[in-house]
This record gives sequence, structure tokens and C-alpha cells, in this order.
Amino acid sequence: MHTTKEKRPSYRPLVSNKVLQQTMGRYYALTSWHRYWGKFLRRPLAWVTSGAPVELLRAFNIHCAYPEQYAAIYSARKATVALCEVAEAAGYSQDLCSYARSNIGGVLRPDLAPLGGMPKPDLLVACNNICGTVLKWYEVLARHFNVPLLVLDTPFMTDQLTPQAKDFVIEQLSAMAADLAEITGRRFNEKKLAEQMNLSRKITSLWIETRQYCQASPSPLNAPDLFINMAPIVVLRGSQKGINFYSKLKDEIKERVELAQGAIENERIRLVWDNIAIWPQLFSFYKMFSEKGACFVTDTYSGGWAVEQAPGTPIESMATTYTEVFLNRSPKFRANQLINLIKEYRADGFVMHSNRSCKPYSLVQEVIRREVMRETGVPGLMIEADMADPRAYAEEPVRNRVQAFLETFDDLK
Amino acid sequence: MVETINPTDSKEALELLIEEASLKGSDRLSRYPKHRFFGYFCSYFPEELIIAAGLHPLRLLPDSENSTPVELPAYCCSLARGTLDMEVREKWRDLVGIGFAHTCDTMQCLSGVWASSGQSKTVDIVPPVMLKAPGASRYYHAELHTLLSKLTGLTKQEIKAKAIRNALILCANARKLAAELDVLRPNLPSPLISSLLRAGQLMPRSEYTQALVNSLPALKAMAEEPHDKAKVLVSSAVLENDSLFEMIEELGGRVVADDTCTGFRHFSGVTVGESEDPLLDIVQRYSEMPPCPCKNRSLNERISYLTTLAKQRHAQGAIIIIRKYCEPHAWDAATLSERLRKNGIRTLTLELEGANAGGQERTRLQAFLESLPDYEL
Repeated sequence: MHTTKEKRPSYRPLVSNKVLQQTMGRYYALTSWHRYWGKFLRRPLAWVTSGAPVELLRAFNIHCAYPEQYAAIYSARKATVALCEVAEAAGYSQDLCSYARSNIGGVLRPDLAPLGGMPKPDLLVACNNICGTVLKWYEVLARHFNVPLLVLDTPFMTDQLTPQAKDFVIEQLSAMAADLAEITGRRFNEKKLAEQMNLSRKITSLWIETRQYCQASPSPLNAPDLFINMAPIVVLRGSQKGINFYSKLKDEIKERVELAQGAIENERIRLVWDNIAIWPQLFSFYKMFSEKGACFVTDTYSGGWAVEQAPGTPIESMATTYTEVFLNRSPKFRANQLINLIKEYRADGFVMHSNRSCKPYSLVQEVIRREVMRETGVPGLMIEADMADPRAYAEEPVRNRVQAFLETFDDLK
Repeated sequence: MVETINPTDSKEALELLIEEASLKGSDRLSRYPKHRFFGYFCSYFPEELIIAAGLHPLRLLPDSENSTPVELPAYCCSLARGTLDMEVREKWRDLVGIGFAHTCDTMQCLSGVWASSGQSKTVDIVPPVMLKAPGASRYYHAELHTLLSKLTGLTKQEIKAKAIRNALILCANARKLAAELDVLRPNLPSPLISSLLRAGQLMPRSEYTQALVNSLPALKAMAEEPHDKAKVLVSSAVLENDSLFEMIEELGGRVVADDTCTGFRHFSGVTVGESEDPLLDIVQRYSEMPPCPCKNRSLNERISYLTTLAKQRHAQGAIIIIRKYCEPHAWDAATLSERLRKNGIRTLTLELEGANAGGQERTRLQAFLESLPDYEL
């Protein structure tokens, strides 16, 4: 007798995915066609790093595009290797950040890039709160496009934010406002900046609330959900469209919790994720976990955008908020952050992605792993891969390590 | 055991410097038993303040490029891996402390890893990256003040302004002598200059300057001109030995311009010494000196500086070294290479695991040097 087993998906799709697609689709279309409306509306296009003070740019009506986010899309659409090879042929080492390499590859060969690559920028804005790479990367772009490069230097915090560091960042932000006024021909309006900050605060609150629902068992969201749904908080921070999307997402997640609907079937193991997603393997990698009832209930990466604004005037608030991002802080701070997540989300373990492309995130992970295991008593697994370049991903060793790690929970539950 | 090594004979002084460079500070306890050393990694950690605190700055260099301490992943540079491994093996146990200047991402991370897993006391300074940004000098000055407090806390001794002034004079003197050495570079064997400059980052500075003063007559006598070697510029991060310079020389090349972290770049920049506050003089030097790839004074300054330097020294070729996983230098390599070529200077980019140049590099170097116009066997 021939029998067929119905194959059930190991994760529960979100209804709000449609809204996400519409919201992001509109954003990408607007960005792609910027050349047709940007000049007419006097809205220059800026390429910005993910940690740039975007509220200030928005206060000048600047349209922002994120090379890091495009690089994640290139990776998810399997274009990274071809694009990286273009950059490598141009002299950029394979050991450099794969986001940067694929972006440069897309600049040199837009025909190989999904979405036709990124539209040419009118200016570049980088903030080194996430890494030193962004400065070098944006220097390359500034030379290539011959457009202004504005850099916000946020000193690394070995402990607390020092008064001199805060003053330094405030002074630079004020100077950046003057530069942007010159570039855009618009006057700096502090009230408008305050409005942007207010919109940012709202969207951040919604993202925080949505994430906090994952403290429930079963968790309504898994890591791929978090990674996909973080897109608007990155690119639409400070916009009403972003707020509209997260309101819908929050409502859906709240309902899931009320109905005790988990993101995966039969949640058995609750885990925390550390580092950027493995974009080229987004579903296949996390499926190894969800198939065994392991759900990533929270993560440090998309949690980077779930941080309340610091108090003070808009410029003071931005100075503190953007300097205090977690990647700009000591391993001790980051270990405590992970320990708190494990406690708050009642996690059974954690997985760290040792990401060859992101040294600030990855080089300190082993000392953090040991500290977190010592403090919480839960196991932590290290996986070596790359956020975008699939050539750095060795499937079998990764699978073996994941299986061995998950087997350690068999006796517990 | 001797407390002070100070040969007055020119050749003996030269031998001492070469010996110190090859020892890389490993014999410091027997050579300088009454000196207290303080380790540092990067030229952006102000050695003037270490000296003013009554300590002796020791640049930490790895004894192996194959170390793999468990605290760091394999895709981290061998400088970080090697020195951390030595910390684990307690090779730095006698140091009063270890100073980290936040320059590249790896150094930034190494500081945290060291503080978490090492035994040594660590001290951080976070210099501005954008050296000409509004408020950068004021911020840098405040950071130096904070560093002074940390060093005071470490030694439990007040650091007086006069001690800082004296340290500034000592370091300025070392830089002046290094500049004299750099002028002699085209006429002296490349590994010798590399070695002498490295010694100045490892041994007590008073002894170093004295030995360099004493050895200059011998060096000047050795200087030969004109030579028929192929003139090259070398740009690199830290090079803990002279392997590359030896190979270049053996293959008929001569390093006429040096842009390495452990070479002349460490000594570059002018110490003015005119401010009422000596810390301002330190800030001014750092803000004006030729920048390393981790720093930015303006978009193309470093590239233009190196192109000009190569032309001034009549370099026909440039060898750009990328130490494996050293991102700042790897980033600049493509632009630098392109710019130099546009200016008629041929370039070779070599990737090295550490400082040692092996068989593969030899083949590439030889082919490169042979392609230069003035090359003669």
C-alpha cells in the first residue's frame, strides 16, 4: 500500500508578511527610481551605514539607502559570490567584509546585482559605531562616485560613555547638520529633527514590544522572522510607513501569544542567537533547529534596533544613542546583554555565529561565550560561517556541530 | 647582568641595536633588571606618557605567526593571535601593564579579550579616527588626560609635567635620530635600517638614543653611493622581523621609502614642544603625522602622501604588504596600487601570514624586481 505523509512546514508564516512585502517593495521602488523624482523634490540620495544618525538626514529630506541591506538581499538571492569576485578582481581581498565586497561588486557591475544594484548616491554618510570597516568601505565609494563623504566618529566605549566622547560626537553632529544644510540647500530645523526623533521613538517602541512577546512559551517568532521583519526598522526608522507596519506586526504577534501559537511546531528548546544572520542559508540553516523543536526566541542582531533613545536635546540624544550601540561596547557589556536575554527569555542555550566578515562582532565571542555559560549555566555553541558569502559556509561540519549541540538537550526535556 | 648597556664604540653600539632588535625584548629581565616595562601595540599609544610614568615602553611583537589561542578565531591576524598566546604562556608577566590604542577592529577586540582572559593589567586609550573632525583635538587631549590618570593609578605615582616634558624631549630626540637614519636608507642595507628602527620600540629609549648616536659614525662610514639596486617603497602593518627586507636586498632591491607600522612611520611626525601643556604637543604630532590606514585626516591624504614619498625617494616600484586578515591595509591596497601605477610606479601586492616571506613570495618578488627599470643582477 502506498502511503503519503503530509509534509507540514516547520514554521508558521506571518500574515503581516504581505504588508512587509508591500512596504519594502514600495521603498525599493522609490529608491530605484530616485533619479526621476529626487532632483525634482530636492531630495538627495544618501548611502548610509546601518548605524548612521538617519533622523538627522531625514530632517533634511534626504532619502537614505543602505548598502548593508542591499548586500543582504544580494546574498539571499544568491548573487554574492559573483559580485564578490568582481570586487576581488579589482584588488579587494577575500578576507574583507562580504557586504562591502558585494556592494563594490554591484557598483562595478550593476548588471550582476539584484534590483539592478543601487542608484548612484549624491552623498555618503558613515558612522563607525558598528565597525572600522565602514570608514574604509565608504572611502572607496567616495573616491569612486566623487561625492561628499560625511563621517561620524563615535569613540569605542571600553566602559561607560565618557563626557569627552559625548561632547566630541555632539560637536560632529552639529557640524554634520551644517554640512547637510549646505549640501541640500535647506536650513537646519531642530523642530523637524525632534519630530523625526519622535517618529523613531514610536517605531522603536513597537519593535521592542513585538520582540518582548517572544518571552512567551511557545515563542511567536523565530530567528528568520526577526531577521526578515527588521528591514523596516533599519530603512524606515523615523517614518509613518514603518510605524504602520510594526503596528500590524505587533497586533499579529500579540494574537499569536493569546492563542498560544508558536513560530515553530512543538517548541522544545529555546535559544538565543548572536551575530548577523547567515543570509545565504537563512531558511535551511534555521530549519536544522526548528526540525528538532529548537526556536530562536530572540537575538542580539535585530535587537540592536530595539534600543530606547537616550534623553536630552535631539542632538544630545542622538550622540548618546548612536555611540552606545552594542557593537561599540566592551565584551563585558555584551556578555551582560546576552546573560539578560537568556534570563528574560528563559532560554535553554545560545548559538553564536562566528562571522568571518564581521570582526567587531565575532573576535570577542569566545570570551563572551565562556562568561555567559559560567553565569547562566546554559550551553553555547559556536558556528563559523559568513553573513553573506556562501564560500565560507561548510555545511557538513556545521550540521554535525548543530546536531551534537541539540542532542545535549535530549536529556533535559 | 648589567643595569645599563651603553657601549661608546660605534660598532659595538651598532651590534647592540641589532641584537636588541632580534631579541624583540625577550631578554629584558636579564639585560635591564631594574627597569619596569610597559607593553604597547600601536604607535598611537603615546610612549611619552609611559616614559613620564617612570616605565619603559616595550612594543609587543609575536614570537610565532602560527599561534592559535582558543580565545580568538583563526581569521584574526597573527599579531593578535601571537601576542595573546604569549600572554597565555605568561611571557608578559613582568610587565607593569599593557596599553591598547583603539585603531583597527582587531586591536579594539583584542583589548577586551585580553582584559577578560589575560593576567596583565590593561590600559586603553581611544584616539579619534577622524583626526580633523570638529572637536577631535579637544577630545584627544581629554583622552590623554584620562590616560595620565590611568597610568598614575597603575604606578601609584604622580606624573609631573616636568617628567612629561623630559619624555617629550627624549622621544623627539629618538625621532630626530630615526629621521637621520631614514635619510641614509638608500645607501644602507634595508634589513639593517629595519632592524635599527625596530630596536627603538623595544629597548629603553635613553639607551636606544645613546646607542644610535654612538653608532651613526659607523653607519655613515658604511653608507655606499651610488648603488645600482632597484629602489622600492614598502608599505605594511607591523613587521616583527627583517625577513622581507632581507629578501628584497638579496634579490637586488633596496627599500628607499618605508611606510610600515614598525618602521619609520612609528617615528614620523614632528614634536613641537612649544605648548604650555605638553599633552597638546602630543596631540599636535598625532594629528599632523602621516596617518596609518586606520586614521583619516582627509579622503586621499594617505594615498597622496605615499605617492609623493615614492617620487621623492625615486622609487621605481612599491611593495604593498597585506598581513593576512589586516583589514585597514587590505582596504587601502587597491587604491594605493592604482594611484602609484598612475604615477608611473610599478606595484606588487603581497599577502603574508606574518612577517616571514617564504618561497612563493621570493618568486613573485624576484619577478617584480626584475621588471623594474634599474634592476641589475
